[in-house]
Amino acid sequence: MTGRPITRRGFLGLSAAAAGVGLAACTGAAPSGSAGGGGASGSGSGATTLRVFTYEDNQTIGLLRDLTKKFDEQNGMTTTVDSLPGSGAAVYPDKLKTELLGGKGPDIWRIWGGEIGHPFVKAKQAADLTQYYQKYGWDSKLPPTAIEGMTFDGVKAGVPFIAAGIAGWYNKALFEKAGISAPPKSYAELEEANEKILASGKTPLATAGKYGWHIMRLFEYLLETTAGPELHDKLLVGQESWDRPEVVTAFTNFKKWQDKKWIPDGALGLDPSDVEPWYVQGKAAYTITGQWTESGAIQAADKKSSDFGVFPFPTDQSTVRHSGFVEGYMLNAKSGNPDKAAALIDFLVQPDSQKAMKYGQSAVIGAEPDKATLPLSAEWTQGPGRQPFYTIQDQAFPKQQADQYFAIQSNVLQGSVTPAEAAKQMQQAISAWAKS
Amino acid sequence: MSTATIAQGAATSAPPRRRSRANRGGATAWLFALPALAVYFVFLVYPAVQSLYFSFTDWDGLSATYNIVGLDNYTAMPSDPVVIQAVINNIIWTVVTIVFPVVIGLALAMLLNGKVRGKPALRMIFYTPAVLPLVAVASIWGWLYNPQFGAINSFLRLIGLDSLAQPWLGQDSTALAAVMVPAIWLRVGFPMLLYLAALQGINADMYEAATVDGASRSQQFWHITMPSLRPAHYIVLALSLIDSFKVFDLIYAMTYGGPGTATQVMGTWMYFNVFQYYKAGYGTAIAVVITVVAIAVSIPYVRSQTKEHAA
Amino acid sequence: MSSSAEVAPVAALPEATVAPEGVVAREPKGKGGIVMTIVLALVAIFWISPLVLLLMTALRPLSDFLATGSLAWPQAWTFTNFADAWSIGNFATTYRNSAFLLLLKVPVGVLISAMLAFALAKLRIRFGTAIMYTVFLGLTIPIYITIVPVFVMMRSIGLSDSVPGLVGPYLAFGIPFEVLVLQAFFRQLPDEIIEAARIDGAGPWRIFFTVVLPLSSPALVTVLILDAVSTWNEFLFALILLSSDANKTIPVGLLNFQGQFSSNQTGLAAGILIAVLPILVAYLVLQKWIVGGLTAGATKG
Repeated sequence: MTGRPITRRGFLGLSAAAAGVGLAACTGAAPSGSAGGGGASGSGSGATTLRVFTYEDNQTIGLLRDLTKKFDEQNGMTTTVDSLPGSGAAVYPDKLKTELLGGKGPDIWRIWGGEIGHPFVKAKQAADLTQYYQKYGWDSKLPPTAIEGMTFDGVKAGVPFIAAGIAGWYNKALFEKAGISAPPKSYAELEEANEKILASGKTPLATAGKYGWHIMRLFEYLLETTAGPELHDKLLVGQESWDRPEVVTAFTNFKKWQDKKWIPDGALGLDPSDVEPWYVQGKAAYTITGQWTESGAIQAADKKSSDFGVFPFPTDQSTVRHSGFVEGYMLNAKSGNPDKAAALIDFLVQPDSQKAMKYGQSAVIGAEPDKATLPLSAEWTQGPGRQPFYTIQDQAFPKQQADQYFAIQSNVLQGSVTPAEAAKQMQQAISAWAKS
Repeated sequence: MSTATIAQGAATSAPPRRRSRANRGGATAWLFALPALAVYFVFLVYPAVQSLYFSFTDWDGLSATYNIVGLDNYTAMPSDPVVIQAVINNIIWTVVTIVFPVVIGLALAMLLNGKVRGKPALRMIFYTPAVLPLVAVASIWGWLYNPQFGAINSFLRLIGLDSLAQPWLGQDSTALAAVMVPAIWLRVGFPMLLYLAALQGINADMYEAATVDGASRSQQFWHITMPSLRPAHYIVLALSLIDSFKVFDLIYAMTYGGPGTATQVMGTWMYFNVFQYYKAGYGTAIAVVITVVAIAVSIPYVRSQTKEHAA
Repeated sequence: MSSSAEVAPVAALPEATVAPEGVVAREPKGKGGIVMTIVLALVAIFWISPLVLLLMTALRPLSDFLATGSLAWPQAWTFTNFADAWSIGNFATTYRNSAFLLLLKVPVGVLISAMLAFALAKLRIRFGTAIMYTVFLGLTIPIYITIVPVFVMMRSIGLSDSVPGLVGPYLAFGIPFEVLVLQAFFRQLPDEIIEAARIDGAGPWRIFFTVVLPLSSPALVTVLILDAVSTWNEFLFALILLSSDANKTIPVGLLNFQGQFSSNQTGLAAGILIAVLPILVAYLVLQKWIVGGLTAGATKG
C-alpha cells in the first residue's frame, strides 16, 4: 500500500520513456552513418574532455597517463585514457571498430598502419590531418617512410610515432652454450643454429600461435627468403599468384620448423605474451620481435641489455629486408574538440614525451633510442633498421583476409592441409580480395 | 498512450459498480499489459523484423546508403566455408550440450533422490556453475587449459600421461570439445534440479508393487521412472534445445572462434561479419537463419505452453 | 499416461529377479546411505574443484606458482594478487555499473512483467492467446537477431556506450520468462479472493498491488533473483553497446582483464574471483529461492 504512489510514478515514467524511444526508433529507422548523438565527447567544438584509446600495457600505461595529465594542466582539459592491451592486433581493432560503429568513439586512438588502419579511413571515421600536419610541421618531425605508412589513398590520416622492425633477439649465454659464435648470416646457418640449440637442450625460437600474428612473423620471413623482395611485394597486393613453388617451399619450411621442434611444443595454442619472454628467461635461445622488447621484456625483468643481442633474420637476398610496420595516432572525425585533440597528439609526439614513454622504436626524429639506456635498440635503429622493409603481413591484408591467412597457417602446422594446398588456398583468398 | 489516459486509469480506484466484464477486460487490462508489451515490441519484435529487412541488403553497418540485394546474402552462405563449419559446430554443440547434461543430470537426480545425507549442500554444489557469468567460466577454464601452467595438463603430467598433455584450445581437433566441457559442467545443474523435483513426485507405491511383482531395478527404471518423468523430459529437452542455439558468450571468450575458424558458430560468425568485416547485411542474414531454425524447432514447445495456459 | 499399462507387462515377465532391498529406500538404512553419500561427495568435490583451485591460486604469490606449478600446495600465502587485480581490472567502476544496471532494470522488469501476467491471467485481456504466443516465442529467439537494429537505434539517440542504453533490450529479453512464470502462478490464485476484494470496492490496480502481489511473493522473489542473475551475467549486448572503460559492466571488464593478465596466472585467478564473488555469495544466501523457484516454475509449466 505504501509503495503504490512510487510505483505509479515509475510506471508513468517508464511508458513515457518507452514511447519516446519508440518514436525515435521509428524515425531513426533508416540507418544513418552521420548519426546524431554528438561527437565523441560532447557536441560542438568546445568540449573540454578528451578520450584516448590505446594499447599500452600495465607497465607503460602509467607513463602515458602522466603525460596526459601534464597536457591537461597546460591546456585546461580533462583527458581519460582507456587501454586494451594483451592480444596485439587481434581484439583491440575489433573493439575500436565496434565503438566507432556505435557513433561514440574515442577522440584519439592508437593504431597500426597498413590495412589495420586503412578501414577507419575508408569508413571516414579517421579525420584528414593535412591541416594539422601543416600547423604542427609534422612533415619535418617524422620520417617520410613512417608518414607513408599512415597515409591512405593519398590522405594523411595518422601521425606515426612508432616505426618498428622485426628481428631476431637472442640470449647470448644460450647461444654460447649451443656453440654459436655469431648470429647466423644465411638461412642454412640459421637452420644449423637451430639444431645446435636443440642439441643443447633448449627451444630455438620462442613463438606462439594464439591470435596468429606472432607465428606469422616466422612465415613471412620464410616467404621473403624463398620469394625475394620483388615477388614478395607483388604477392602482397595480389599481382602475382600465390600458387607457385616459392610459396609452397615457404609453407613447407614453415611446417618443418614445427616438425623439427625448432618452435615450442604446441606453439599454436600458446599465447605470445607468455612465450616471447622465454628468450629472456633462458627457456629459448631467441625470438622474433621488435625493439619494444628491450624495455618491455629485458629491462622489465631486471636483466642487462649487454646479455642479449639483436640480429636481422638472414634472407639470402642481395637486399636484406626485414618485416616492419608503423603505429600512430588517429583523430576521430567526429571529435568533440578536434583542435585540442590534435594538440594532444602533437604533445605526445614531442621527442621529450617519446623519451618519457621509453619507446625503443620511436619514429620521432630526435627521440631515437638512447645508446646508454637502450643500447640494443640504438644498435638496431642505426644499423640493420635502416634497411628497407616489407609491410608486416597482418597489415598487408584487411582483417578478413588476414583471418583467412591465419586459418591456413594454422591448418598447415596441424597437418590438415599440405603446403601445396595452402598455397592454392592463399591464392583464392588474396585474389578474391584483390579483385574487389 | 497519452499520459492523460494513463493518469485517468490510475486515478480511478473505485470504479462504478457496473459488472461489465467486457469493459473491465478491455481498457484496464490493456493498461496493465501496455508497458511490457511496448518494451517488448520496441526492443525485441521490431528489431527482429528490422534485421530481417537488413538481411536483404548489402549494408555495411556504417554508410547512410545501401542496396537491396534480395536473397544474395542467403545464396552466398552455402559457398562460405566458415558458414558450413559454423553450422556443423552448432549441430555438434546442440547435441552434446543437451545429451550429456540431461543424462548426467538425471543420474545425479536419481542418486540424490535416494538415501543420501547432505542433500541441500550437494544440490547446491552441482548447480553452482550455472550462476557464474559465462565470461568467468571461460576465463576459469581457459586458465585450467593453459598448456604450460594449467591444472589439466599439470594433472596429466602428474599421473604420468604426459603424452596427453596438449594445447586443448589451440588445435582444431580438440578446441570445440574443450569448450564443450565447461558448457556441460554448467548445464548439468538445471536438469538435475528439475528431475529431482519430478522424481519426488512419483508415488513410491508403484515401486513397491513392482518389487512385489518381481521387477528388477532396471525394469523399474525404464517402466516406471522414465515414463513418469515424461513431462520433465519435455521441459528439460525443450529448454536445453532453445538455450543451445544461443551459444555465443562461451566461445567468444574462450577461443574467439579459433584456432583459425575451428570453433566458429553462427552466433560468433555473425558478430565477426557485422562488427569486424563491415558486412552488416550478410551478418544479419546469418542471424536470421539461426533464428528461423530456433523458432521452427521450438514451436511445439511454445504451442504447448500457450495451450496449457490459455485454458 | 500409461504407467499402469506398462507395469503390467513387467509383472508378466517370467523369472524376473527380485529387486534387492532398499532400491528406492524410504526407510533409513545406514550402510547404503553412507556409501552413496561418499560417492556423491567425491563427485561434488571434483565438480567444484575448478573454483577451489581458483581460490587457492589467487592466494599464492606468483613466484610460488611458477616455482612449483599449478597443483602444488602453496608454500606461501598472500593477498597482493587481489590488490593488483582490483586496480588493474578497473573493478570499482565495473561493479558500480553492474550494480546500477541491476537496481534500475530488475525491479522495473519484474513489475511490468507482473502487470502483463496479471492482464493475461486474471483480467482476460482480449487477444490473450495471441499475446501469449508472441511473448513466449521471445523465449526462443536468440538475442543476436536484434543486436544490429538495437545498436543502430541506440546510436541514433545517442545512448550507445551508456549503461542506461542497455535497459531497454534487457527488459525486453527478460519479459518472456518472467511472464511465463508469473502468469502460471497468478492463474492459480483463487478467483474468490479477487472477487472479495472487488466487492469491497477495490479497482484492478488496488487489487493488483494489495492482493495479488503480496500473495505471489514466493514467485516474485524467485523471478527477481533469477532476473538479477541473468542481468548481472549478460555479455553480448554489454560487449557491443558499451565501449569506454568508464561504462563497462563486470562481464566485459573481466574479458578485457583476461588479456591484460594472461601471463600472470595468480593475478588472473584473483581477478576472476573478484568478479564472481558477489554472485557466489548471493547464490549461497539465496539458493533456496533460486533452486526452489526453478523447480516450481518448471513443474507447474
